[in-house]
Amino acid sequence: MRRRLAISSNSELVADDVSFAYVGATKAALRHIEFGVDPGEVVLITGVSGCGKSTLALALCGLIPCRIPGELRGQVMFRGKPLSGMKPHEASQLVGMVFQNPNLQLINQTVVSEVAFGPENLALPHDEIVRRVNWCLDVTGMEGMRKATTVTLSGGQKQRTAIAATLAMKPQILVLDEPLSDLDPVGAQEVLATLQRLARDEGTAVVIIEHRVDEVAPWADRVVLMDNGRVLLDQPPRQAWADAAPWARTGVGVPDVVQLAHALPDAFGGELPLSVGDAVGQLADTWVVPALAAAGEARALGAASGPRSPGGALAGNGRLPAGTAISLSGLPAGSRPPVLAWEGISVEFDGKRAINDVTLRVAEGESVAIIGANGSGKSTLVSLAVGMGTPCAGQVFFRGQPVQPGKVFEHSAQVALLLQAADEMLFEDSVIDELKFGTKFRALPPNPVLDVEGAIDFFGFRGLEEMSPWELSQGGRQRLALAALLVGAPGVLVLDEPTTGQDAEHMRSFLRLLAAVRKRTGLTVITVTHDIRGLASHAERIVLLGEGEVRLDGPTTQVLAQTEELKRWGVLSPPLPRLEADLLGHCDDVLLSVAGFVSAVNAYRGVPVDQGAPAERAGGV
Amino acid sequence: MSNLLVRTIFSYLIIFVPPLILPWMFIKLVGLGGLRDLVTYEARDTPLHKLDPRLKVLYPIAMGILSIVLNWDFMLIVFGLSVIPWFWLKPSRAKVRVLMVMVIGPALTGFWSQGLYYLPPQPIHYIYQFPGTISWMGSPGITAYGMVFGLQQSARVLVTVSTSMLILVSTDVGDFTWAFERFRMPPQVGFALTAALRFLPDMISRTTLVLRAVELRGYDMSRPRWFQVRLWPDYVKRLSRCIVIITVPLLVGSLRGTTTMAMVADARGFGVNRRRGSLQEHPLTAYDIGGYVILVLLVGGAIVLNHFRIGARPY
Repeated sequence: MRRRLAISSNSELVADDVSFAYVGATKAALRHIEFGVDPGEVVLITGVSGCGKSTLALALCGLIPCRIPGELRGQVMFRGKPLSGMKPHEASQLVGMVFQNPNLQLINQTVVSEVAFGPENLALPHDEIVRRVNWCLDVTGMEGMRKATTVTLSGGQKQRTAIAATLAMKPQILVLDEPLSDLDPVGAQEVLATLQRLARDEGTAVVIIEHRVDEVAPWADRVVLMDNGRVLLDQPPRQAWADAAPWARTGVGVPDVVQLAHALPDAFGGELPLSVGDAVGQLADTWVVPALAAAGEARALGAASGPRSPGGALAGNGRLPAGTAISLSGLPAGSRPPVLAWEGISVEFDGKRAINDVTLRVAEGESVAIIGANGSGKSTLVSLAVGMGTPCAGQVFFRGQPVQPGKVFEHSAQVALLLQAADEMLFEDSVIDELKFGTKFRALPPNPVLDVEGAIDFFGFRGLEEMSPWELSQGGRQRLALAALLVGAPGVLVLDEPTTGQDAEHMRSFLRLLAAVRKRTGLTVITVTHDIRGLASHAERIVLLGEGEVRLDGPTTQVLAQTEELKRWGVLSPPLPRLEADLLGHCDDVLLSVAGFVSAVNAYRGVPVDQGAPAERAGGV
Repeated sequence: MSNLLVRTIFSYLIIFVPPLILPWMFIKLVGLGGLRDLVTYEARDTPLHKLDPRLKVLYPIAMGILSIVLNWDFMLIVFGLSVIPWFWLKPSRAKVRVLMVMVIGPALTGFWSQGLYYLPPQPIHYIYQFPGTISWMGSPGITAYGMVFGLQQSARVLVTVSTSMLILVSTDVGDFTWAFERFRMPPQVGFALTAALRFLPDMISRTTLVLRAVELRGYDMSRPRWFQVRLWPDYVKRLSRCIVIITVPLLVGSLRGTTTMAMVADARGFGVNRRRGSLQEHPLTAYDIGGYVILVLLVGGAIVLNHFRIGARPY
């Protein structure tokens, strides 16, 4: 028997017992959805990939069933009128939809013409079009970019343009499908601030479908958890996360500060924080601060007395000398020959410097994350390692041999690069052919660590050998592309934004897989990412790029402690490092996991408050 | 004997170097990625950008009429006229590089091929006469008459290239749509052009990316050096096979994108009304009037000249 969830009488948009199955699907994508949206509220819908979130979004904005064929039962209604009977342009003036990939929804060449496109189609009078366009650009903070061509915009600006273009249809409700997936943390904050402004000032209801719950949680009025096509819970955030069981059962991520509050209920006084700011406010005068300080001092003493993992320290100004890397043993990697070295690299595009005099050395077996805001030069830098792109100065070396620009085929045998768009790397009709693809053109070294048969077992493709890669899930296709690259026995694996748009469970399984690969092959892994919480914090070393230069380079725990410097270059440190840094005022290194944080503070639980309180010593939180 | 050998080698160079330079020039100066610059709009604040979009749509048509009705003797003049607005536009360096290749390529081809193979009436004055070791291939030598004729032929093609490119670089596609509507054309025509111009650069970028991805997966796309003649057939074979390989990801990606784009266009009310509104108002300015007058004078002048059998093409 289905559970009927409460729908407020104020709800403008109501999904009344909505079920939907795609044509040819054996399983319904949505099952008996009961859901309502009130004016001016921000609703976060989350769940694992494939749970029906995007399908629900399409149904809410009326594109199901008129543009997506399938069997729809129940009704989505706006102020009592069914959306299913409306044409898309009628529905879009009530409920606007912003799709995941802004590139695919910007049809026009300039920002202003993109925003005007909808009102022009509606044949509105000139003055009304001007008024709407000006309002949309103003409310999304894009006024200064109105004449810019869309191809020149950053990810955050494109997403805001897409929002502005949708708003120009004057919808009462805005539905956004993973609006943050391609954005760096600062770009994500820009978009979220825009959405909150819309809800607060304009009364527009905002429905955000997102995996990045840590970032959206502080802005949401309600949280909806979906699983297997159903709404599992639909409550205000603190109530939604009060019980961790449904979240654990579905494998959906819970904000770090919420997990921390569950682990330290006495410190938080029983109330769940939703943001780092909330957590700082709740913990500032508790035993956690001195315990945290004492744990930090103990870690510093431990580091001074011997090697630790990861070892080494940042230079006094928070930066290591260029090219100095930290190895697992705590010795600078400079003492070992680097497997990859970028020496004085500069790259220009159309006369503009994208990379400026970067020297970076990565030692054999290291796991390095290269982070930075969108457009900071991360992908450009790593792609030079396989001969993609030509530096205007400097040279890249692989095991001491220069990497020749343009010789991608030759260098791809040494350095495997998994592109962000892993789908673009699949060319064959079956999984087995995909794994054999590279071996057809290049002889494998004798006794490779991972041959085709080994890869089938290791990556879990046994029994799926004849399946088309396009029948695999997105995570499966990414695994297949990774497996196919590793069959070539490279010396270094470079991953370019490998977890973009993936949910917490996929992220965890990818990290497990990566750890297993490293354990088995001893590969050096370089990861380019703006997902600091999920991916970068699992690396041993982090390199921060800002405007094409190395700004920070050191052990992960130390780089993530530099919260202000990270912010300056468009990167937000994950919630726990920010919490520690904010509570202590200043710290040299930080704890990365909730478990680590909890065990560290519990170990020093008895430290009196007046011996600690470094936040006060440092000038307060 | 040695004189004959030197003349033969020199003749071979004259015949074969230009067709080899063209692909080299394209690869070095433009490349697949550079093609993006061919059709991208450059947002600037020049008077050309502000011209009435209808005038801009009419401009290539008017110049095309000139290139059709006037004979070869006038072609270089017409081409010269089509180049003048470029100085007003001041395009970016990347755009100029692509344009130069697009202009020099056909010009060189016409100049060279007609110089070799277009034979004027007797007596023929050769710039360089080939020895018998070469002339048996069909070209007795290179003539100034043929080269000039080749340039005129190229100019006729380049008038269209130059005028169309000028308009693409200086006109936002929204303005194209506006102009098409004012010409009473269905909005779908404008939208098709909009979508093509907006997504063609993306498609070129994706093709470049997928070609790189093929290499990353171990497919050898390395080009032999020019003198490694025996390796070239294999390279061409690999290149042809690669086209088949990259088709699947390109197709899958494009289809996915198309579905989203169609839904976005629907949601934004595209095609709901036969007439659309417009953000831009394009009141006639002095520049527009001047532009219309120039176009009318040019086309009218060409017709008048034709009437008096000046510069008229023989029909």
